[in-house]
Amino acid sequence: MELNVKYAEENRSRFRNLLHKLWEPYKQVPLLGWLLAALVAVLLEMLVGQPLARLLGMSKIPALFGVILVLKTPILIPSTLLYLLLIYGLPIAITARLTAKLTDFIAAKLYNTSTGLSILLHVALLYAVLHLWTSISDYRLLVVKLTLISIIITLSLNVINGYMGEFSCSHPGFIALGAYTASIFTIVLFVSENQFGEAVLPPALGPYLFPIGLVLGGIAAAIGALLVAIPSFRTRGDYLAIISLAFMFIVVSLFNNLEIVGGARGLSNQPDYANLATIFVWTILSIWIINNFVRSTIGKALNAVRDGELAASAMTVDTRKTKMVAFLFSAFWAGVAGGLFAHVIRYINPGTFGIRKLAEVLAMVYLGGLNSVAGSVVGAVGFNLLSEALRPLEILKWIIIPVMLILVMIYRPTGLIAFTELDPIALIKPKSMTEGEADNATS
Amino acid sequence: MLKKVIAIAFFMAIIVGACAPAGPDTIKIGVNAPITGDIPKVGEGTKFAAEMWLEAIGGELEIGGKTYAIELVIEDNEAKGESAAAVNQKLTTQDEVLVIVGPQSSKQAVPAGGVANDNKTPMVSPWSTNPATTLDRPWVFRTPFLDPFQGPVIANFVTEEYGFTKAAVLYDVASDYPKGLADNFLSGWEDIHGADSVVAFESFTTADTDFSAQITKIKNTGAEFIFSPQYYNEVALIVQQAHELGFNAPIVGSDSWGSAELVNLCGEDCYGLFFSTHYAADGATGATKDFIDAYNAKHGYIPDDVGALTWDTFLIIQKAMEDCGEITGDLAVDRACVRDALAQIKNFAGITGEMTFTEQGDPIKCAVIVQISDEGTFKFYDQACP
Repeated sequence: MELNVKYAEENRSRFRNLLHKLWEPYKQVPLLGWLLAALVAVLLEMLVGQPLARLLGMSKIPALFGVILVLKTPILIPSTLLYLLLIYGLPIAITARLTAKLTDFIAAKLYNTSTGLSILLHVALLYAVLHLWTSISDYRLLVVKLTLISIIITLSLNVINGYMGEFSCSHPGFIALGAYTASIFTIVLFVSENQFGEAVLPPALGPYLFPIGLVLGGIAAAIGALLVAIPSFRTRGDYLAIISLAFMFIVVSLFNNLEIVGGARGLSNQPDYANLATIFVWTILSIWIINNFVRSTIGKALNAVRDGELAASAMTVDTRKTKMVAFLFSAFWAGVAGGLFAHVIRYINPGTFGIRKLAEVLAMVYLGGLNSVAGSVVGAVGFNLLSEALRPLEILKWIIIPVMLILVMIYRPTGLIAFTELDPIALIKPKSMTEGEADNATS
Repeated sequence: MLKKVIAIAFFMAIIVGACAPAGPDTIKIGVNAPITGDIPKVGEGTKFAAEMWLEAIGGELEIGGKTYAIELVIEDNEAKGESAAAVNQKLTTQDEVLVIVGPQSSKQAVPAGGVANDNKTPMVSPWSTNPATTLDRPWVFRTPFLDPFQGPVIANFVTEEYGFTKAAVLYDVASDYPKGLADNFLSGWEDIHGADSVVAFESFTTADTDFSAQITKIKNTGAEFIFSPQYYNEVALIVQQAHELGFNAPIVGSDSWGSAELVNLCGEDCYGLFFSTHYAADGATGATKDFIDAYNAKHGYIPDDVGALTWDTFLIIQKAMEDCGEITGDLAVDRACVRDALAQIKNFAGITGEMTFTEQGDPIKCAVIVQISDEGTFKFYDQACP
């Protein structure tokens, strides 16, 4: 018995050592290297993915890493694993390792020239990977679009529920305000033959003016937030939750009763402006701006308000202004996300923005982690991909996802990646550089 | 040793997987159904009808002298619009289905129809009544009649049956089906009896359970009957509360009443009431009776209109595929062929009546007026055709 335990322990430590050894060279791979490796994998999938999938008995390239396929036909588990290994696993591992020196050199050069340029290059590379990856399947494209929009929504809610420490339930209302405002903007201006009459402007201008519609949607949501904020900041905690919940219901009722935007029948005919590039740019913008916001003085003030309003006030924080700004800021991004959502699905109705949407958004925030930009991204991506991939399980899916949430709450009560700060400069830093060198380079 | 076994099993499985049948002789049909979410009963009815159809044809279909295996790809849309769109995207591009049946309610069918149309894949919704589902979408069809037809049918029926002139409407403003039908009834009634003949147009919001304020108001206006295009669970409450408040005039309904649950919930209060629907289960004959009996024997309850309409939808796409004559294996060609065949369907005898598709992809078909009998069954009473 004892021997067995000893043997198992030995085995485990041997396994750990092996993993450690395998991982060792990858510590030197900069983010640039990983992105490059991902690009190689995606290119490889474009070139040989289809014949390989056929060879392994799959009729198509598995769209979401084969999870859906495996759940439907378990016999394909080995072939799917082999596919993933051949297309993603090995190429990424090999490229990352072989190019580590080169990419680190380039990363260092870029880092020394201009960090801004370097970040831009990383983002462009990320877009290239996403663009190629989604070009393989339209289904993938739709899932990625919805996931990117979820990232904006989750991030914006995290500003209130995470950084400010309040529990706001009005997010679906803000999303609805943004979605309807942006939809009305584009339909009135650029779509003929609809309930609002002929197009006011030539439709060719549409894609260029679309951002204005999104910003208007964000502003509409922010105005809505002002309506919640004024009465509710006399209260905190549970009371704010109830007031914001009431606001959500008011918005839904408003659109249900507004015949001009279709009432309960909903609003359709949105033009197809929300392509991947547009959504990607807005997502990156939102991550960038929200990240800067929460790392700024006002972000720190928010944390101070969360941890003790009286203390914060004593330390010269204007608590009222801080909360107001954060609330409107958060609502603005929810509104932008709503506008994008409406133009992806190209049909909205008030029922979409109800209590179920709220549950989803809250789940994403608390799964990913409070007070963390990276956590929000992880939460949104994880929840969306999981929800899409487990679809074949039907009713079981609604047991598995809640159980996972409960487990996360038990073992990591604040979410997977909570209370961290996202420093983009540290992310793109070449691995060979020591702390001192990096500091010299930036200063 | 164990490792070797695992390795061998792994490679065997890859070989088995690689040899799995995936020839061009299989036709895939997508089903986009709300299996989880707000309306699981609708999803269940869809799934049952689809599986019964597959069983009825023996899992294969002969088209142009060649036998094809039929495979159903049933996907859950969680009763959400964005999920229904994603499901349709997956069905058309990943699973490469020939034709899609569903989604059922308009909330899902409108966005999903857009995806099907963009991907040039024929789609037939068995239940959606929102005009936007098929409007300007040549690839999208539906099996139920539309509200602009059903509303006036009920108005005509009440006028002829009772000779009433003052109507009241009680509907859910936050749900698109009751709202649409209430509006169409209003215009239909006013066409016959002139403006202001609808003396009360009262609304409530989804999940309300107390209707006494609205009913009292309706009673005070002197309305001779209430039209309530609600779902069965609300109908039971409305009828019972009306009777408790002393409103004993008739309450008339629409096809959303047609669920076996209605009588269970409503009991004697609902006996004798009329509603318009797609088919009458009690006293059905021929193919309709066969379907009802088979469904009842298999699943233990009388199918409601979703089941019947889904069944008809499958018969229609079966006919369209057979009319096509030849399945070439080139998906774009075959899908176009099925779409054209669907558009040309004329006088198709389904269990929910005879139908012909208009240019818009909507059927021209008759509505049935059903009376709830004293045994709690839905008895055929009258028929109204366009």
